[in-house]
Amino acid sequence: MTVVLEEALPLLPRLRRHARLLCGDTARADDLLQDTLERAARKGALFHAEPGPTRQDALRNWLLTLMHRLYLNQRRDAREALHDSLDEEDTVQPLVHEPQQQVALRLDLERALAALPAAAREILLLVCVEELSYQDAARVLDVPVGTVMSRLSRARERLRQSMSGGEAGRAPLRVVK
Amino acid sequence: MTHDDDHDLDEATLHAYVDGQLDPARAAAVADRLLRHPRAAQQVLAWREQRESLQALHREWLDEPIPPRLTAALRPEAANAPRWPRAWAAALLLTVGVGAGLAGGWGGHAWWHAKQEAAERASAEAAARAAGRDPSVPDYVRDAAIAHAVYQPEQRHPVEVGADQADHLIQWLSKRLGQPLHAPVLRDYGWKLVGGRLLPAGDDAAPGAPLARAQFMYENETGERFTLYVSTGARSPEAPVAFRLTRRVEAGQTTRSLYWIDGALAYALSGNFDEKRLRILADLVHARIGMADRAPRSP
Repeated sequence: MTVVLEEALPLLPRLRRHARLLCGDTARADDLLQDTLERAARKGALFHAEPGPTRQDALRNWLLTLMHRLYLNQRRDAREALHDSLDEEDTVQPLVHEPQQQVALRLDLERALAALPAAAREILLLVCVEELSYQDAARVLDVPVGTVMSRLSRARERLRQSMSGGEAGRAPLRVVK
Repeated sequence: MTHDDDHDLDEATLHAYVDGQLDPARAAAVADRLLRHPRAAQQVLAWREQRESLQALHREWLDEPIPPRLTAALRPEAANAPRWPRAWAAALLLTVGVGAGLAGGWGGHAWWHAKQEAAERASAEAAARAAGRDPSVPDYVRDAAIAHAVYQPEQRHPVEVGADQADHLIQWLSKRLGQPLHAPVLRDYGWKLVGGRLLPAGDDAAPGAPLARAQFMYENETGERFTLYVSTGARSPEAPVAFRLTRRVEAGQTTRSLYWIDGALAYALSGNFDEKRLRILADLVHARIGMADRAPRSP
């Protein structure tokens, strides 16, 4: 278990940014990360990976899995009844980041990301920012790879739309069948 | 778009291409096809731009210190402890942590040692950043940008061996680098090979790896140039091909380099034009090298 603990240290800055972009709020993000790490410390014996170059990635994926499961539970708890799918959820997260932002584009992107449905934000952060493979992202979120791909496609389009001021823009590329 | 040969450009494939999920051969095929489908290419560029701006979002957070309550949470003792209100727990665990560090108690030594190492690594990266170097950019890419800045403006001796001796050039450089090289033919896109030169590897070369690197120079009708720099000793031949961008200002001129690793070779394509053109070129070059690699070798 101590192995996990020491190996996880270099991962913390990335995991913390991941949580902050996911929650859009530093205090909530740190709570989420703390819960994740406590759970990892308790379940450290459950983490199995061969020593080697891929071990660090495996550990990161395992921690991300724990984090996203907790995040999902939070969202479930927050909703009394879950009548529509999480994909369609449209809650806008509060944005409590530092107010003085220099770059307008970044501010737009950050706002747009925070305003996305949670499932869209999750997939963009895992695939684009953490650069997980579709298979790994599917494992972290416990959904089929096909779901990862359809969510990703929708998330990209939504983000693009909200950054272009909500206008519909040109039609998305049609799938050639 | 026609129907029979375009299944390579369906939306799912384009997403996978942008996210580096395709194997190198497939990615090369898609890159090649994108040249003939500007609309799909535009879509790919837009997604790639979005992906990169997401990656850049709050990169500075990575340098922030981690609150002690988070590092403390990793200790199994902390996890099994009863849950106090968080502020109390944090204050308490911090005190316990410092005590452990002084006394070296219950594995505290190893813990602080690891913490120290992480801190040292972070400060080395911060130093590199302060020196104007991005620690995430491999050294060979910096060498490529410098070599570009040195030879690109050269009018009389831009290359060592000219394109009129292209076969000899390729053979010679392949031999010195110990890998079969290709200088892709790009004449149909308006770029002709000027020639190439042999360059020394920097001090980051892996022990036992060849100390030679190659630079190919291309020029178009208006006299614009770009250089393709090739280095051996690439470490992750199985990794999907991912293009990364870096910028360097040299003598008031901005050189952009797109770099990628493909098999045993690492490439950097450098030019003094905008990112969009550089990306299209890099996709093209990468696709052509892939095709040359798969083509039967000419005697």
